[in-house]
Amino acid sequence: MLVRNSLLVTSAALMLVTLYMVFLWVPTELNLGVSQRIFYFHVPLGWLGMISIVIVAVASIVHLITGSQWWDDLAYTTAELGVVFASLILVTGVIWARGDLGWWWTWDAKLTTTLVLWFIYVGYLMVRAYSPKGSQSARFASVIALFGAIDAPIIYMATVWWSSAHPELNVGPVASDRDAIGSNKIYATLLVAVLAFTIFYIHLVVERFHLRRAESALDRLHQSFAARF
Amino acid sequence: MRSIIIAAAAIILLAATLAPVAVAAAYDGAPIVSATVETLAQQQRGEAELPWLFAVYVITWAAFFAYVFIMSRRQREMQREIDTLKRALDAKIDPEQ
Repeated sequence: MLVRNSLLVTSAALMLVTLYMVFLWVPTELNLGVSQRIFYFHVPLGWLGMISIVIVAVASIVHLITGSQWWDDLAYTTAELGVVFASLILVTGVIWARGDLGWWWTWDAKLTTTLVLWFIYVGYLMVRAYSPKGSQSARFASVIALFGAIDAPIIYMATVWWSSAHPELNVGPVASDRDAIGSNKIYATLLVAVLAFTIFYIHLVVERFHLRRAESALDRLHQSFAARF
Repeated sequence: MRSIIIAAAAIILLAATLAPVAVAAAYDGAPIVSATVETLAQQQRGEAELPWLFAVYVITWAAFFAYVFIMSRRQREMQREIDTLKRALDAKIDPEQ
Protein backbone atom coordinates (compact mmCIF):
# COMPACT_ATOMS: atom_id res chain seq x y z
CA MET A 1 0.00 0.00 0.00
CA LEU A 2 2.90 2.34 0.82
CA VAL A 3 4.45 1.81 -2.60
CA ARG A 4 1.11 2.51 -4.27
CA ASN A 5 0.59 5.70 -2.26
CA SER A 6 4.16 6.85 -2.89
CA LEU A 7 3.68 6.41 -6.63
CA LEU A 8 0.45 8.38 -6.54
CA VAL A 9 1.92 11.21 -4.46
CA THR A 10 5.08 11.39 -6.57
CA SER A 11 3.19 11.37 -9.85
CA ALA A 12 0.73 14.01 -8.61
CA ALA A 13 3.59 16.27 -7.48
CA LEU A 14 5.44 15.79 -10.75
CA MET A 15 2.28 16.51 -12.72
CA LEU A 16 2.01 19.86 -10.93
CA VAL A 17 5.64 20.60 -11.79
CA THR A 18 4.91 19.58 -15.40
CA LEU A 19 1.88 21.85 -15.62
CA TYR A 20 3.88 24.76 -14.23
CA MET A 21 6.66 24.15 -16.75
CA VAL A 22 4.34 23.62 -19.73
CA PHE A 23 2.12 26.64 -19.14
CA LEU A 24 4.40 29.13 -17.35
CA TRP A 25 8.08 28.23 -17.61
CA VAL A 26 8.91 26.97 -21.09
CA PRO A 27 9.08 29.62 -23.86
CA THR A 28 6.71 29.53 -26.81
CA GLU A 29 8.32 27.99 -29.85
CA LEU A 30 8.17 30.70 -32.50
CA ASN A 31 7.70 28.57 -35.61
CA LEU A 32 4.97 26.28 -34.23
CA GLY A 33 3.40 28.70 -31.76
CA VAL A 34 1.31 27.92 -28.72
CA SER A 35 0.02 24.62 -30.10
CA GLN A 36 3.57 23.22 -29.81
CA ARG A 37 2.87 22.88 -26.07
CA ILE A 38 0.63 19.92 -26.93
CA PHE A 39 3.95 18.20 -27.61
CA TYR A 40 4.53 17.84 -23.81
CA PHE A 41 1.38 15.73 -23.50
CA HIS A 42 1.45 13.98 -26.86
CA VAL A 43 5.02 12.64 -26.74
CA PRO A 44 4.81 11.02 -23.23
CA LEU A 45 1.47 9.46 -24.17
CA GLY A 46 3.02 8.13 -27.38
CA TRP A 47 6.00 6.72 -25.51
CA LEU A 48 3.83 4.91 -22.96
CA GLY A 49 1.33 3.72 -25.57
CA MET A 50 4.13 2.01 -27.47
CA ILE A 51 5.88 0.68 -24.36
CA SER A 52 2.61 -0.93 -23.24
CA ILE A 53 2.31 -3.20 -26.26
CA VAL A 54 5.90 -4.40 -25.80
CA ILE A 55 5.10 -5.25 -22.14
CA VAL A 56 1.90 -7.01 -23.25
CA ALA A 57 3.84 -9.10 -25.78
CA VAL A 58 6.68 -10.02 -23.39
CA ALA A 59 4.26 -10.88 -20.56
CA SER A 60 2.13 -12.97 -22.93
CA ILE A 61 5.14 -14.94 -24.14
CA VAL A 62 6.38 -15.58 -20.57
CA HIS A 63 2.85 -16.67 -19.62
CA LEU A 64 2.81 -19.11 -22.53
CA ILE A 65 6.19 -20.55 -21.51
CA THR A 66 5.66 -20.73 -17.74
CA GLY A 67 1.85 -20.92 -17.53
CA SER A 68 1.98 -18.38 -14.70
CA GLN A 69 -1.26 -16.49 -14.08
CA TRP A 70 0.76 -13.54 -12.75
CA TRP A 71 2.20 -12.81 -16.22
CA ASP A 72 -1.16 -13.20 -17.89
CA ASP A 73 -2.66 -10.70 -15.45
CA LEU A 74 0.19 -8.28 -16.22
CA ALA A 75 -0.41 -8.66 -19.98
CA TYR A 76 -4.12 -7.98 -19.60
CA THR A 77 -3.45 -4.99 -17.32
CA THR A 78 -1.01 -3.29 -19.68
CA ALA A 79 -3.25 -4.01 -22.69
CA GLU A 80 -6.14 -2.20 -21.04
CA LEU A 81 -3.91 0.75 -20.18
CA GLY A 82 -2.52 0.62 -23.70
CA VAL A 83 -6.00 1.28 -25.08
CA VAL A 84 -6.34 4.35 -22.87
CA PHE A 85 -2.94 5.73 -23.88
CA ALA A 86 -3.28 4.84 -27.59
CA SER A 87 -6.68 6.54 -27.66
CA LEU A 88 -5.16 9.65 -26.09
CA ILE A 89 -2.25 9.62 -28.60
CA LEU A 90 -4.75 9.68 -31.45
CA VAL A 91 -7.00 12.31 -29.89
CA THR A 92 -4.18 14.68 -28.89
CA GLY A 93 -2.53 14.12 -32.28
CA VAL A 94 -5.59 15.03 -34.32
CA ILE A 95 -6.27 18.10 -32.15
CA TRP A 96 -2.68 19.26 -32.62
CA ALA A 97 -2.93 18.69 -36.38
CA ARG A 98 -6.20 20.62 -36.57
CA GLY A 99 -4.79 23.53 -34.57
CA ASP A 100 -1.42 23.68 -36.31
CA LEU A 101 -1.99 22.33 -39.84
CA GLY A 102 -5.70 22.84 -40.35
CA TRP A 103 -6.74 19.22 -40.89
CA TRP A 104 -7.93 16.52 -38.51
CA TRP A 105 -6.56 13.40 -40.16
CA THR A 106 -4.51 12.17 -43.09
CA TRP A 107 -3.67 8.60 -44.04
CA ASP A 108 0.09 8.89 -43.75
CA ALA A 109 2.36 6.18 -42.37
CA LYS A 110 2.82 7.47 -38.80
CA LEU A 111 -0.86 8.13 -38.18
CA THR A 112 -2.05 4.95 -39.88
CA THR A 113 0.37 2.65 -38.02
CA THR A 114 -0.66 4.29 -34.75
CA LEU A 115 -4.32 3.66 -35.62
CA VAL A 116 -3.33 0.03 -36.38
CA LEU A 117 -1.80 -0.17 -32.88
CA TRP A 118 -5.10 1.04 -31.38
CA PHE A 119 -6.99 -1.65 -33.31
CA ILE A 120 -4.47 -4.25 -32.10
CA TYR A 121 -5.12 -3.25 -28.47
CA VAL A 122 -8.88 -3.35 -28.96
CA GLY A 123 -8.54 -6.69 -30.77
CA TYR A 124 -6.51 -8.10 -27.88
CA LEU A 125 -9.15 -7.09 -25.32
CA MET A 126 -12.01 -8.35 -27.52
CA VAL A 127 -10.34 -11.74 -27.88
CA ARG A 128 -9.92 -11.86 -24.09
CA ALA A 129 -13.52 -10.83 -23.54
CA TYR A 130 -15.17 -13.20 -26.00
CA SER A 131 -12.93 -16.29 -25.85
CA PRO A 132 -13.63 -18.98 -23.27
CA LYS A 133 -11.73 -18.36 -20.03
CA GLY A 134 -8.45 -20.21 -19.61
CA SER A 135 -5.18 -20.68 -21.40
CA GLN A 136 -6.76 -20.78 -24.89
CA SER A 137 -7.87 -17.16 -24.57
CA ALA A 138 -4.41 -16.04 -23.48
CA ARG A 139 -2.82 -18.01 -26.34
CA PHE A 140 -4.96 -16.36 -29.02
CA ALA A 141 -4.44 -12.91 -27.52
CA SER A 142 -0.66 -13.32 -27.26
CA VAL A 143 -0.46 -13.74 -31.06
CA ILE A 144 -2.25 -10.41 -31.45
CA ALA A 145 0.12 -8.83 -28.89
CA LEU A 146 3.09 -10.01 -30.97
CA PHE A 147 1.73 -8.13 -34.00
CA GLY A 148 1.46 -5.07 -31.78
CA ALA A 149 5.07 -5.45 -30.65
CA ILE A 150 6.11 -5.55 -34.32
CA ASP A 151 4.02 -2.43 -35.02
CA ALA A 152 5.67 -0.35 -32.24
CA PRO A 153 9.10 0.10 -33.94
CA ILE A 154 7.36 0.68 -37.28
CA ILE A 155 5.45 3.59 -35.71
CA TYR A 156 8.68 5.03 -34.32
CA MET A 157 10.53 4.70 -37.65
CA ALA A 158 7.61 5.73 -39.88
CA THR A 159 8.86 9.27 -40.45
CA VAL A 160 12.34 7.93 -41.29
CA TRP A 161 11.16 5.26 -43.74
CA TRP A 162 8.34 7.18 -45.45
CA SER A 163 7.61 10.82 -46.16
CA SER A 164 5.09 11.91 -43.59
CA ALA A 165 2.92 14.86 -42.61
CA HIS A 166 3.94 14.09 -39.00
CA PRO A 167 6.95 16.09 -37.72
CA GLU A 168 10.29 14.29 -38.04
CA LEU A 169 11.89 12.56 -35.06
CA ASN A 170 13.75 14.97 -32.81
CA VAL A 171 14.12 12.72 -29.76
CA GLY A 172 15.67 9.28 -29.56
CA PRO A 173 18.54 7.30 -31.05
CA VAL A 174 17.65 7.83 -34.73
CA ALA A 175 16.40 11.39 -34.40
CA SER A 176 16.99 13.18 -37.69
CA ASP A 177 15.89 16.65 -36.63
CA ARG A 178 17.57 17.21 -33.24
CA ASP A 179 18.17 20.90 -33.84
CA ALA A 180 14.48 21.60 -34.39
CA ILE A 181 13.83 21.77 -30.64
CA GLY A 182 16.45 24.43 -30.24
CA SER A 183 16.11 25.12 -26.51
CA ASN A 184 17.30 23.34 -23.39
CA LYS A 185 14.14 24.50 -21.63
CA ILE A 186 12.04 22.58 -24.14
CA TYR A 187 14.15 19.45 -23.59
CA ALA A 188 13.92 19.85 -19.79
CA THR A 189 10.14 20.26 -19.90
CA LEU A 190 9.78 17.23 -22.14
CA LEU A 191 12.00 15.20 -19.80
CA VAL A 192 9.97 16.12 -16.71
CA ALA A 193 6.69 15.48 -18.57
CA VAL A 194 7.87 12.03 -19.66
CA LEU A 195 9.00 11.25 -16.10
CA ALA A 196 5.68 12.43 -14.61
CA PHE A 197 3.56 10.47 -17.06
CA THR A 198 5.76 7.37 -16.66
CA ILE A 199 5.40 7.37 -12.85
CA PHE A 200 1.65 7.95 -13.25
CA TYR A 201 1.55 5.06 -15.72
CA ILE A 202 3.37 2.79 -13.23
CA HIS A 203 0.83 3.82 -10.58
CA LEU A 204 -2.04 2.92 -12.93
CA VAL A 205 -0.41 -0.43 -13.79
CA VAL A 206 -0.02 -1.29 -10.08
CA GLU A 207 -3.64 -0.34 -9.29
CA ARG A 208 -5.11 -2.12 -12.30
CA PHE A 209 -2.90 -5.15 -11.67
CA HIS A 210 -4.28 -5.47 -8.11
CA LEU A 211 -7.79 -5.23 -9.51
CA ARG A 212 -7.00 -7.91 -12.07
CA ARG A 213 -5.66 -10.17 -9.30
CA ALA A 214 -8.89 -9.60 -7.37
CA GLU A 215 -10.86 -10.58 -10.49
CA SER A 216 -8.81 -13.77 -10.76
CA ALA A 217 -9.39 -14.49 -7.05
CA LEU A 218 -13.12 -14.00 -7.59
CA ASP A 219 -13.10 -16.44 -10.51
CA ARG A 220 -11.35 -19.02 -8.33
CA LEU A 221 -13.89 -18.47 -5.55
CA HIS A 222 -16.77 -18.97 -7.98
CA GLN A 223 -15.17 -22.20 -9.22
CA SER A 224 -14.60 -23.38 -5.63
CA PHE A 225 -18.18 -22.58 -4.74
CA ALA A 226 -19.54 -24.41 -7.78
CA ALA A 227 -17.32 -27.46 -7.15
CA ARG A 228 -18.37 -27.86 -3.52
CA PHE A 229 -22.07 -27.19 -3.77
CA MET B 1 11.76 -0.53 3.53
CA ARG B 2 9.26 2.23 4.19
CA SER B 3 11.93 4.87 4.73
CA ILE B 4 13.79 3.76 1.58
CA ILE B 5 10.66 4.21 -0.55
CA ILE B 6 9.91 7.62 0.95
CA ALA B 7 13.54 8.68 0.43
CA ALA B 8 13.46 7.48 -3.20
CA ALA B 9 10.22 9.34 -3.86
CA ALA B 10 11.67 12.49 -2.28
CA ILE B 11 14.86 12.23 -4.38
CA ILE B 12 12.85 11.76 -7.59
CA LEU B 13 10.67 14.73 -6.74
CA LEU B 14 13.63 16.91 -5.82
CA ALA B 15 15.56 15.92 -8.94
CA ALA B 16 12.57 16.58 -11.16
CA THR B 17 12.06 19.97 -9.56
CA LEU B 18 15.70 21.03 -9.68
CA ALA B 19 16.48 19.63 -13.15
CA PRO B 20 14.82 22.46 -15.09
CA VAL B 21 16.40 25.04 -12.77
CA ALA B 22 19.84 23.57 -13.44
CA VAL B 23 19.19 23.46 -17.17
CA ALA B 24 17.89 27.02 -17.13
CA ALA B 25 21.00 28.16 -15.27
CA ALA B 26 23.16 26.56 -17.95
CA TYR B 27 21.02 28.00 -20.75
CA ASP B 28 23.16 30.31 -22.86
CA GLY B 29 20.37 32.73 -23.69
CA ALA B 30 20.24 31.85 -27.35
CA PRO B 31 16.88 32.49 -29.01
CA ILE B 32 14.55 29.52 -29.23
CA VAL B 33 14.52 29.05 -33.00
CA SER B 34 15.96 32.09 -34.64
CA ALA B 35 16.29 35.78 -33.97
CA THR B 36 12.75 36.34 -35.23
CA VAL B 37 10.81 39.09 -33.54
CA GLU B 38 7.33 37.97 -32.57
CA THR B 39 4.90 39.70 -34.87
CA LEU B 40 1.29 40.70 -34.30
CA ALA B 41 0.21 37.93 -36.69
CA GLN B 42 2.08 35.36 -34.55
CA GLN B 43 0.44 36.69 -31.39
CA GLN B 44 -3.00 36.40 -33.01
CA ARG B 45 -2.17 32.90 -34.19
CA GLY B 46 -1.13 32.01 -30.64
CA GLU B 47 -4.46 33.19 -29.27
CA ALA B 48 -6.31 31.20 -31.94
CA GLU B 49 -4.38 28.06 -30.98
CA LEU B 50 -5.06 28.31 -27.25
CA PRO B 51 -8.42 26.46 -27.38
CA TRP B 52 -6.70 23.46 -29.02
CA LEU B 53 -4.10 23.34 -26.26
CA PHE B 54 -6.75 23.49 -23.54
CA ALA B 55 -8.81 20.86 -25.37
CA VAL B 56 -5.85 18.47 -25.22
CA TYR B 57 -5.24 19.30 -21.56
CA VAL B 58 -8.90 18.79 -20.56
CA ILE B 59 -9.41 15.62 -22.62
CA THR B 60 -6.21 14.00 -21.29
CA TRP B 61 -7.09 14.65 -17.67
CA ALA B 62 -10.77 13.81 -18.09
CA ALA B 63 -9.77 10.46 -19.59
CA PHE B 64 -7.36 9.70 -16.72
CA PHE B 65 -9.86 10.70 -14.03
CA ALA B 66 -12.61 8.68 -15.70
CA TYR B 67 -10.36 5.64 -15.92
CA VAL B 68 -9.24 5.90 -12.28
CA PHE B 69 -12.85 6.43 -11.17
CA ILE B 70 -14.10 3.38 -13.10
CA MET B 71 -11.20 1.32 -11.77
CA SER B 72 -11.76 2.26 -8.12
CA ARG B 73 -15.52 1.58 -8.43
CA ARG B 74 -14.84 -1.84 -9.94
CA GLN B 75 -12.35 -2.57 -7.16
CA ARG B 76 -14.92 -1.76 -4.46
CA GLU B 77 -17.61 -3.87 -6.14
CA MET B 78 -15.19 -6.73 -6.57
CA GLN B 79 -14.09 -6.66 -2.94
CA ARG B 80 -17.72 -6.61 -1.80
CA GLU B 81 -18.50 -9.63 -4.00
CA ILE B 82 -15.45 -11.52 -2.69
CA ASP B 83 -16.49 -10.87 0.92
CA THR B 84 -20.07 -12.02 0.21
CA LEU B 85 -18.84 -15.17 -1.47
CA LYS B 86 -16.40 -15.96 1.34
CA ARG B 87 -19.14 -15.55 3.95
CA ALA B 88 -21.49 -17.77 1.93
CA LEU B 89 -18.74 -20.37 1.54
CA ASP B 90 -17.94 -20.34 5.28
CA ALA B 91 -21.63 -20.63 6.17
CA LYS B 92 -22.00 -23.65 3.89
CA ILE B 93 -18.93 -25.32 5.37
CA ASP B 94 -19.87 -24.57 8.98
CA PRO B 95 -23.67 -24.13 9.33
CA GLU B 96 -23.25 -23.40 13.09
CA GLN B 97 -21.71 -20.01 12.30
